Amino acid sequence: MEATLLLNTSMILTLTILLTPITLPLLSKTFQNSPLTITRTIKTAFLISLVPMTLFMYSGAESIISNWEWKFLMNFKIPISLKMDQYSMMFFPIALFVTWSILQFATWYMSSEPYITKFFYYLLLFLIAMLTLTLANNLFLLFIGWEGVGIMSFLLIGWWQGRAEANTAALQAVLYNRIGDIGLILSMAWLALSMNSWELQQTFTPTQTPTLPLLGLILAATGKSAQFGLHPWLPAAMEGPTPVSALLHSSTMVVAGIFLLIRTHPMLSNNQTALTTCLCLGALSTLFAATCAITQNDIKKIIAFSTSSQLGLMMVTIGLNLPQLAFLHISTHAFFKAMLFLCSGSIIHSLNGEQDIRKMGGLQKTLPTTTSCMTIGNLALMGTPFLAGFYSKDLIIESMNTSYLNTWALLLTLLATSFTATYTLRMTLLVQTGYTRTATITPMNENNQTITNPITRLALGSITAGLLITSFITPTKTPPMTMPTLTKTAAIIVTILGILLALELSNMTHTLTQPKQTPLTNFSSSLGYFNPLSHRLNSLTLLNSGQKIASHLIDMSWYKKMGPEGLADLQLMATKTSTTFHSGLIKTYLSSFALSILIILSIY
Amino acid sequence: RGQPKMAAYLTHQQKVLRLYKKSLRHLESWCIYRDKYRYFACLLRERFDKNKDVKDMVKATELLKAGEEEFWANQHPQPYIFPDSPGGTSYERYECYKIPEWCLDFWHPSEKAMYPDYFAKREQWKKLQRESWEKELKQLEEETPADGPRTEALPPARKEGHLPPLWWQYVTRPREIPM
Repeated sequence: MEATLLLNTSMILTLTILLTPITLPLLSKTFQNSPLTITRTIKTAFLISLVPMTLFMYSGAESIISNWEWKFLMNFKIPISLKMDQYSMMFFPIALFVTWSILQFATWYMSSEPYITKFFYYLLLFLIAMLTLTLANNLFLLFIGWEGVGIMSFLLIGWWQGRAEANTAALQAVLYNRIGDIGLILSMAWLALSMNSWELQQTFTPTQTPTLPLLGLILAATGKSAQFGLHPWLPAAMEGPTPVSALLHSSTMVVAGIFLLIRTHPMLSNNQTALTTCLCLGALSTLFAATCAITQNDIKKIIAFSTSSQLGLMMVTIGLNLPQLAFLHISTHAFFKAMLFLCSGSIIHSLNGEQDIRKMGGLQKTLPTTTSCMTIGNLALMGTPFLAGFYSKDLIIESMNTSYLNTWALLLTLLATSFTATYTLRMTLLVQTGYTRTATITPMNENNQTITNPITRLALGSITAGLLITSFITPTKTPPMTMPTLTKTAAIIVTILGILLALELSNMTHTLTQPKQTPLTNFSSSLGYFNPLSHRLNSLTLLNSGQKIASHLIDMSWYKKMGPEGLADLQLMATKTSTTFHSGLIKTYLSSFALSILIILSIY
Repeated sequence: RGQPKMAAYLTHQQKVLRLYKKSLRHLESWCIYRDKYRYFACLLRERFDKNKDVKDMVKATELLKAGEEEFWANQHPQPYIFPDSPGGTSYERYECYKIPEWCLDFWHPSEKAMYPDYFAKREQWKKLQRESWEKELKQLEEETPADGPRTEALPPARKEGHLPPLWWQYVTRPREIPM
């Protein structure tokens, strides 16, 4: 009893502390927010959120708080209910830790911005929306959080709104998320009709759930988590400042789609069609993103495609009916991906705005802390044994190898794993090793504690998070314990093959052969030709069909063909055929009239 | 002084030099390492220098056309663009902070009272601008040819005590990187 009370109290306390930068300036006249106060708020909230997590780890206490119903209809209740289960209680400290590090980094990174407090406000609002999404026990509250993170993503990507590409990217993010929202609203409507509730506890059906609402949920996850088909917004979202990319588009917002599928996994678990869709979609996304990442030259785009690839891997895990493993991958991924973005931000500022890896090199000597942490993050990403990524990634590949599911998806995922190693090593070699190719005078320094502390903190998290989480959380499904040696070491072997490929490619760049465009590199560089095809074809067909409907269907068909002109045409046709019938001999006609009248008169 | 005049068409020399610079930049995007780039840059330079003394314009134009086609076939799909150039990552990034100076006129008097000496000085500058505007316009009307200006360059002030035309736009231009 006391455990639940302490749990509820500490969670509500965490949320209240997070809301203080918004409520305190309204209550007190002299209180001014600053980036420092907001960072301290998040740090306090993180420390307090460790209480529920440790409670859960040691006593397994979970709870659902439900208050204030919105009496919408008589028999349809929408309460504000918060679910503290293992997912939300584990996610809170991790998200708050990552956010704290990112905000501390952003106090240095964005220090030359005029409106830095507004920036921190936006990040705080985003965090609140994301935590609402994780805590929600019903789909209504989840939808509020879902839309909230979408709006904040728009505002933050288009932070420098004078830049045309930033506005385009923000618009792309909003539109692609909207297409996903269609799926979410469809599933919510089906749930409201059939289960008469939006609570997650009511979504479980003992028989097979119909495929349509599940496809709606998968569409929502495709939009929010940038799976193949609705993915272009994620690389474009790199137009935003680096703290935005680190927080939203690597650790927290893009996992919202996967989180939705984890929350609703009782519905998914008995419908094999939906699970197979998840599996194949995830496998396709992970391979596509990894292929595109190999030839990218912008450091942020490489990390963005890496995020996209890992999201595909999380979708694959959902398709294998292992939601807890997907959540583990979300947690470990948050650490090393945020750290990679922070390291890239440090490098970019040190090189005075240079983001192209062709103009970086030899940074291992000049930025030792940043590049060492970057190496740790890259090793964790590749799934090096016993770093954070290993515990989730290796388990996913083992489970996939030992399950009797789609071989095609398995092969794609293994190929994507090797490509992960390839582009990671390419990035490392071009950024950190060799002679420097940067400009001659750069403001390169790591002297500020606000840079090195967050990065080293996250590095510590990248190393230990996997071990800590797996040691303390009991798995809900037994992982496969025995398998052939080749299956067990498949991930490592494939990673090593990827490393060898990267070394071979870098050897080729050193030899004196003229590089050329080839179809493969062209496919990878232009991101699979997806962007021009979908963006232009879609708008072209829409405008064309609009023109046809407006001018041809309405004007020409209704007003002309069905109306006057059509009638006139019919008349014309009739008259043309019947013109040749009469020959114009009037005297003969008159005499025939007279004759027939005479005959009729003579009969009567 | 001695600035090149822009005409409506490019000379052959300008076209060749532009092709050379374009191809060197794309070569730099392809050959990441400096020694490899230097090797291929020297080869490219030798190819350009071989046809340096061709006097026949027809042949020279054909060579240029072949060069442009070869460039198009071998260009890099993601050429290296400097961050502040058009298409780069920092281009127009601070455009949203570049507010025109006439917004200062719309400040509330209580806000203007926070910087009294600045606004007093500003009133003097605005008075100067009002006085010299007619003279600037007159100078521009006299100096512009009948069928429109030839270049974008503005003429300097000609008479003693006059200010250069459109000096206000130059003096009150926003900073490159805002504070």
